[in-house]
Amino acid sequence: MDDATYVVGVVMAMGAVTFALRALPFVAARWLQRHAVVARLGRFLPMAIMVLLLVHASVSMAQGHVRGFWAEAVAVLLALALQWWGRNALASMAVATVVYVVMRNAA
Amino acid sequence: MNPKPSTTVVSHTEPPLAWWSATVPVAMGYVPLGAVFGFLFVQAGGSAELAVLTSLVVYAGAAQYMMIPMVAAGLPWGAIALATLVVNLRHVFYGLSLLDRWPTQGWARWYAVFGLTDETYSVLTTLPADTPTRHWVAITALNQGWWVLGTGLGAWLGAQATVSWQGLDFALVALFAVLAVEQWRRRTSAVPMWLALGTYSVAYPLSPGNALVVSIAACVIAAVVWQPKEASHG
Repeated sequence: MDDATYVVGVVMAMGAVTFALRALPFVAARWLQRHAVVARLGRFLPMAIMVLLLVHASVSMAQGHVRGFWAEAVAVLLALALQWWGRNALASMAVATVVYVVMRNAA
Repeated sequence: MNPKPSTTVVSHTEPPLAWWSATVPVAMGYVPLGAVFGFLFVQAGGSAELAVLTSLVVYAGAAQYMMIPMVAAGLPWGAIALATLVVNLRHVFYGLSLLDRWPTQGWARWYAVFGLTDETYSVLTTLPADTPTRHWVAITALNQGWWVLGTGLGAWLGAQATVSWQGLDFALVALFAVLAVEQWRRRTSAVPMWLALGTYSVAYPLSPGNALVVSIAACVIAAVVWQPKEASHG
């Protein structure tokens, strides 16, 4: 994180990719709407990718320490339950993260 | 000394608290979430200026959280750009539903495209059809303003903090959990979730390092060949 040129380069690349994704429907709307496969991807991919990111991030997190998978499993289930019944994204994230931090830092 | 004409008459062309009030709940989410990003960025060894620059240029919550460990590990920018592509892929499907109401003026059009986050999308879908372009742009700019403000506050706090907390980066996992629940609520089928879990559990024991990319590729292929039951009569 010390090399500012590297970080600025990463930030520019991320900004370009994000803008390109958000702009795609506006420059290629007719092409996107004409192809049924795009609608199928739109229905299928967001959930599949979000589930994969959730599993992958949890697994990566559990490998960063030697105390097993329990803290991750409990905190993820808590976040899922809070969001399902509470529908408050910020509260779900805050409570689950605080619970996780307490579990990780408890002796 | 040119005396200015008195401006005692206040313009009442639009009702107060109307168009911008929808950004207040966004502020309540973006200031703390931006602060977590700024805090984690500085705690990972980055500078406050670069944290704020990231929120100005990238402006995508999950991708920004995700970049912190990747940048701290010094991964090549191409790998981080690819990860950003995967995390933000859902944004392609947002613009399609707003197309016919989108601002048409050059810079306004493209700034609104740039700022089309999950939350801004949900605010814009609630606006009346005759909303002027300047309100559309102002809502987008206010929302990004909350995000940048939160980033600055969090970065400042992170620079003051002497104790670094283990596990605060769980906020990214929690964010993915929240987004996964919202996808599940809007599901038309449970197949994508089962396929994601199935491919990952097969790919992970074979190659932990490539499990995510392999699983995503498998899901893209499955989505292309998948025939949903409810669409079979169409």
